[in-house]
Amino acid sequence: MPPAAIQIQDLTVHAPNGPTKSRPKILGPISLNLEPAEHVLLVGPSGSGKSTLLRAIAGLNQPTSGTITLQGDLATDGPKQLIKPERRKLGYLFQDGALWPHKTVHKTLEFVLSAAKTPKPQRLDKIAEILELVELTGKEERLPSELSGGEAQRLNLARALITNPKIVMFDEPLGPLDAPLRAALLERIRFLQQKQGWCALHVTHDPAGAMGIATRTLHIDSGQIVRDEQHSSNSQATA
Amino acid sequence: MSGSITWADVVSLFEARNVALLGRTIGLGLGAASLALVFGLPFGFLVARTNMPGAGLIRPMGAIPLFLPSLFIAIAWAPLVELRGGLAAALVLGFSTFPLVALFSARAFERIDAAKEEAALLAGGLRSVLRMELPLVLPSALAGASIAFAFAVNDFATPDYVSSVGPKFNVYADEIFASWNVTSNPGRALITALPLIALTLLTLVPALALRRKGNLATQGSAFRAPGPLDLGALRIPALIFALVPLSVGALVPIGRLFLEAGGLPAQMDAGGGVDIGAAWATLQDSFALALERAREDLANSILFSVCAALVAVPIGLIIGHAIERTSRRFGRMLELLGLLPLALPAILFGIAAVFFWSTPTTADIYDSGAMAVLLFAGRYISFPILLLAGATASLDRRLEESAAIVGAGPIRRLLSIVTPELRGSLAGSFVLVFVFCMRELDSAILVPAANHTAILRVFNGVHFGRDEYVAALALLLIFAILLPGALWTLFAKKRLEVLR
Repeated sequence: MPPAAIQIQDLTVHAPNGPTKSRPKILGPISLNLEPAEHVLLVGPSGSGKSTLLRAIAGLNQPTSGTITLQGDLATDGPKQLIKPERRKLGYLFQDGALWPHKTVHKTLEFVLSAAKTPKPQRLDKIAEILELVELTGKEERLPSELSGGEAQRLNLARALITNPKIVMFDEPLGPLDAPLRAALLERIRFLQQKQGWCALHVTHDPAGAMGIATRTLHIDSGQIVRDEQHSSNSQATA
Repeated sequence: MSGSITWADVVSLFEARNVALLGRTIGLGLGAASLALVFGLPFGFLVARTNMPGAGLIRPMGAIPLFLPSLFIAIAWAPLVELRGGLAAALVLGFSTFPLVALFSARAFERIDAAKEEAALLAGGLRSVLRMELPLVLPSALAGASIAFAFAVNDFATPDYVSSVGPKFNVYADEIFASWNVTSNPGRALITALPLIALTLLTLVPALALRRKGNLATQGSAFRAPGPLDLGALRIPALIFALVPLSVGALVPIGRLFLEAGGLPAQMDAGGGVDIGAAWATLQDSFALALERAREDLANSILFSVCAALVAVPIGLIIGHAIERTSRRFGRMLELLGLLPLALPAILFGIAAVFFWSTPTTADIYDSGAMAVLLFAGRYISFPILLLAGATASLDRRLEESAAIVGAGPIRRLLSIVTPELRGSLAGSFVLVFVFCMRELDSAILVPAANHTAILRVFNGVHFGRDEYVAALALLLIFAILLPGALWTLFAKKRLEVLR
C-alpha cells in the first residue's frame, strides 16, 4: 500500500516574530491524512488558517509543533525543517499567480525544469507538452504582463505541474477570475489530475464551483478542522 | 605602530576642549540638517506631487548637490560671499545634503494613496491635502534629515577648507585626525572617535526606524497612485523656490568653476574688461592641462570607484536580502552591522585601514590600488546594503517562494528571481557607491594607495595655489561623477532607484 500523500500530526502554527508565549496561535493542533489522487477542498472564513496550512506543508512557514510527512518522508518536525521547500517536490499555485514578471512563458517553464535538473534535451518536449495541456501553445514568448487573467492562471498551472509532482496545492488561484473562466479552468484541472494522478489540497472561497472535482471537503475555522466531508461519487471518478 | 588604549585616553574625552568641540560639531550637524529639512521637504513635495513647471527635469537634478563633493560647493562660494566660520560650513553642508531629505520626502509623497488625497482635497483644497499628508511624510523627511546630520558631523574636508579661508573652525573630526597625527596610535584615535560614532549611531538607528514607519504609514493594500496637484498661481513661485537649493548646491558652484577655469575672475580682478575670446582659449588650455597633469589620477578615481562598486553591490545584495528574508531579530542585527561603516568617521576609517593593512604580510595589497578599492568599498557598503534591503522588502515574497517550491535553491533564487527584479535598485546602488567613492576625500587622505585620485589632487590644488587648472580638474571630476547616473536616466527603461 503506498504511503499517504500528506500526513499531518498535531500541527500547530503561531504568528511569526516575537516570543512564543505572546504570539497568537493561528493554526492547530491539526491532524490529517491525504491519500494519493484525492482532491481535497479546504474551505472556511478569511483568517481561519487555510493558507497557513498550505504554507506549512510547503515549508514556507515555521510550525511551532507537530509533524508533516510527505509521501512517507518526514519533512517537518516541530520548528525543524527536515526537507527544505525546494526539495519537497510539490506543485503550488499561488493566489494571483506570483508569476515571475521578467520571464516569458517559455523561460518560466525552462527555469522550473532547470531547477528540477531535468536534462536539457528533454526540456523542449516537456514544455511543448505542458503548454498544449494548458492551451498556451503559441504564447511562449509572452511575459506574464502580456497574458490575460485566464492565461496567467494556466501558466501558473503549467509551472506547478511540469515536473509531475505527486502533491499539488491550490491557494485559491482562481479567485480573481470570472465564473465561466473559473469553470473552464476547474474542468482543465480535473482533466489533468485524472491524467497525472496527483493529490490536491485546494483552498477556495467558492466550494460550490469546485465541488465537481472534490473527493473531500475540510471545513476549517479558527485554525481547527471542524468538519470533514467525503464525496464518494467524485472519489470514484478521480481514482 | 601601537593600538594600545590607556585610561588617560578615556579620561581625556571629558576634557573641556573635547566637550566644546563635540558641542560645536553637534551644532554644525543640527544647522545643516535643519537647512536640509527646510528646503528638502518642500522640494520633494513640489517635484513629486505637483504640476510645477519642469518638475520632471528638476527632480533628478535635485540629487546633484549630494553627488558633488561638498568641498566644491565651499570653494565656489568662498570668493562670492564674505560668510566664514561655522555658519558657512553649516550652509555648505545643509545645501549639500538637502537632496537626502528631498529624495526621501518625494518617495513618501508618492506612496500616499490617491483616494486619501482626493478625500482631503474635497474636504478643504490644497491646504487640507498638506495637513493630511505632512504627518505621513514627516517620518521619511526626518529620516533624511537624520542622515544629513550624520553626514555633516562626520565631514572633515569642508570645515577644514572653511578654516583655511577664514577664522579657524575646528570640528570633532579634526580632533580624531589630530590625535592620530600626534600619537600615530589608532587606539587613541578610536577612543577619541567614540562620542562621534555613538552620536552618529544614535542618529541613524532612529532614522531607519522613522523611514520604516513612514513607509508603513503611506502604503495601502489597494494602492492607487495620485495624480499631480494643481498649484494654480503658485506654479512660478514654487519653481523659484525649488531652484534656490539647486542653484546654491549645484548650478552656481558648477558655473563658478567654469568661470574660474576660463580665467574670468582673474581677468576681472586685474581690472580689465571681460574678453570672451581669451576666456574661451583659457578654458580650453585649462582642460588640456588638467587632462595632461591629472589624467592618471582621474583614471585611478574611475577605476577604484568602479571596482569598489563592483565589490560592494553584490555583497550589499546578499546582506540586504538577508536583512529582509531572515528572522526579524537577525535581520535587525545585520542592519545595524550594515550601518556601522557609515557611522564610523571617514578619518577613523582611513586610520583603521592603515592600522590593519600596513603590515609586512599585507604590504603588497597596502601599496596597491586594491587597498583603495577595499577602503572605498568598505566605507560605502552601507548604501547598497540599506538600499537593497529596502528593495527586497518591497519585492513580493511569493516570487521567491514560488521559485523555492519548484526546486530553486537560495543562490539560484537570488540570481534568477531577485536580481532581475531589483535591477533598478542594483544600478542605483552601483551609481551611489561609484559617486561617493569618486568624491571620497576624508579617508583617502591617510591611505597612500588612495592618494593618487582626482579629488585628492583638487584638494591639494585648492590648498597650495588654486588656479584655472584646478577648476578644470574639478569640472572633469564632476562630469565623471554625474555621467553614469545621467546616462542611465536618459537611456534606461527602468528608473534608477537610489531610494526605497
